[in-house]
Amino acid sequence: MPLDLNFIVRNLPLFGRGLIVTVELSLLAIGLAMAWGLVVAFGRMARVRWLRTVAGAYIELVRDTPVLVQMYFIYFGFSMAGFGMSGFLSGLLALSLQNGGYIAEIYRAGIESISVKQVEGGKALGMSRWDVMSIVVLPQALVRVISPLANQFIVIIKDTSLVSAIAVAELTQIGKLLTERSAASYEVFLTIAVLYLMMTGIVSGLSRLAERQFAIYH
Amino acid sequence: MIPQALLRNALYLLRGAEFTVLLSAGSIVLSTVVGAIVALSHAFGPTPLRILVELYLFLVRGIPLLILLFAMYYMLPYAGIDLNPIAGGILVIGIYYGAFMSQVFRAAILSLPKSQWDAARGLGMRLPLILQIVVFPQAFRIAAPPFVNTCMQLVKSTSLVSIIGLWELTMAGREAVERTLAPFQIFAGVALIYFCICFSLASYGRYLEKRMQYVH
Amino acid sequence: MSIDALAEAVAPLIEIRGLTKRFGANEVLRQVSLTIPRGQTVAVIGPSGSGKTTMLRCINLLEEFEDGEIFFDGEPIGYRVAADGRRRRLPERDIAASRSNIGIVFQSFNLFPHMTVLRNITAAPVRVRGIDRAVAERTARDLLARIGLADKADEYPIRLSGGQQQRVAIARALAMQPKLMLFDEVTSALDPELVGEVLAVIKQLAEDGMTMVLVTHEMQFARDVADTIVFMAEGQIVERGPPKALFANPQSERLRVFLRRYHEAYLL
Repeated sequence: MPLDLNFIVRNLPLFGRGLIVTVELSLLAIGLAMAWGLVVAFGRMARVRWLRTVAGAYIELVRDTPVLVQMYFIYFGFSMAGFGMSGFLSGLLALSLQNGGYIAEIYRAGIESISVKQVEGGKALGMSRWDVMSIVVLPQALVRVISPLANQFIVIIKDTSLVSAIAVAELTQIGKLLTERSAASYEVFLTIAVLYLMMTGIVSGLSRLAERQFAIYH
Repeated sequence: MIPQALLRNALYLLRGAEFTVLLSAGSIVLSTVVGAIVALSHAFGPTPLRILVELYLFLVRGIPLLILLFAMYYMLPYAGIDLNPIAGGILVIGIYYGAFMSQVFRAAILSLPKSQWDAARGLGMRLPLILQIVVFPQAFRIAAPPFVNTCMQLVKSTSLVSIIGLWELTMAGREAVERTLAPFQIFAGVALIYFCICFSLASYGRYLEKRMQYVH
Repeated sequence: MSIDALAEAVAPLIEIRGLTKRFGANEVLRQVSLTIPRGQTVAVIGPSGSGKTTMLRCINLLEEFEDGEIFFDGEPIGYRVAADGRRRRLPERDIAASRSNIGIVFQSFNLFPHMTVLRNITAAPVRVRGIDRAVAERTARDLLARIGLADKADEYPIRLSGGQQQRVAIARALAMQPKLMLFDEVTSALDPELVGEVLAVIKQLAEDGMTMVLVTHEMQFARDVADTIVFMAEGQIVERGPPKALFANPQSERLRVFLRRYHEAYLL
């Protein structure tokens, strides 16, 4: 099966444009999801009962519905309601809301995995609850969340492909257009697959590096 | 405020849901079979096979499902293969999720303490027998909760086939929105149906997890 | 008695020659040699890390070994040294067959938690030896009766005490009618009051003529039951001999130190 490399080279600018959009969307979604996840996590672990319930219900809602449907809901819903949101923004919002929920659970699992004994040990030494959190619990929790967070980042990168359905010219959409225009579907598929593998590979590699770094400090 | 558009299209959406369930069921069966084979190959196979498995897992981990669905949709006709679209969807989703299932199964098998293997081998049992009467019965229980959770993820993923034109719940939703111009209502309804299916699965998974804690 | 039978009765059941095992750069067993005659009980004692458990596990090849040979009933186990001196691993089939003739009981019982006591005992005879299930169950119930657990046949291991589980583990090993029984610190994980019931079963086995190797910390028991004591330290057999002589008159300084510490720790 001879590969038309020329085709790939000729269309590199196009692939590049799609790649950039994908990277932009991914980074923004990751950032927003991490921030929003923090808020939701606080709600989930709050002392106030109704806050915990609301946060829990929110997490359950975004986890038990497909992110594509969430995107459609936002994209078509708001454009019909008058203030049209671009596909990019709709996708970004949906990705952030969904993954914020998942990331909140990752934070929670990390914090709760630090044994109660450590917290009690800190308190016995006379530390305030806040001190215990920041000095004893969080640094250790940080190491434990690196791997699950990296996994979630990879999920986010892969899910950006869905915004191709709401007219965003990211990598998958570019691929779809190119395939429809030309007959070089193998080349397109290969290039796109490789590009996604590169992005996710970088995230995996960075996370392993980070884990190793943290392991040194333990 | 009565969601009229949603109520009028409710049956239509539910018919779509039937296809979602059909698609999911077929993919779950396929992914379970693939996952079992891959897990055993990964845990007990010869090195070249294990390398193949690692490659497979690497590819699934790094390539979005949508890309693979597109590949099937656009590329297979060129290769001369004429596949029923639903079968194609089940094939791609099944093989894709086979990777996740294999991780679930492999983790369950490996979580068995070495001492169980010692006891079985000490009695003169060989690998196939050990797997059959010692490992699988125990691993089955351990794998049940994450298996159910993976099934839930699979159900959500079936929504992607709407993008390549397959008719199921999400596609039915899009058509209903075009008809009624009431996207909030319709998609809320679609989300609700998915939620019912997935919430049941998630709850069952949590129930299984709780049960395990009492036995072990 | 015919010449063959006499020869068989006299030949050692286990012959270990130059057994060597390494974990990476660490030599856990160094050129260990030991002969165990039929019907004898050998107790292996020594400080932790001395390699006693490793040696035991090498006998039924639950551990690989890098050098040396082990002969079970005249046949090599695990590895065969060919005429050209090359060491070759025996096929899995043969290794599994050897294991089915050697019973082993572990410190942590290792019963199959998802099977009843009865099934734990009958699983191997039925599936490995192909014994008819009804026959295997009868044998199992006999064994259970002999160790005083006849009423527990249909219970799951989780409902049994440690001592009961260990006795079931012994029955499970015996059900395969092994020629040799290996015991790996089988009372170390038990509450003190449960130790006695397990030792009683082992003592009975010894009196019935089973060839046994016990790795144990129970010095008194070793002295009562063993025909030979083997003292190991740092991967080697330092001293061996009949219990009375060994305990009364230890020849090596190492053993003397060990026994003194034991006296201090246990006899208060």
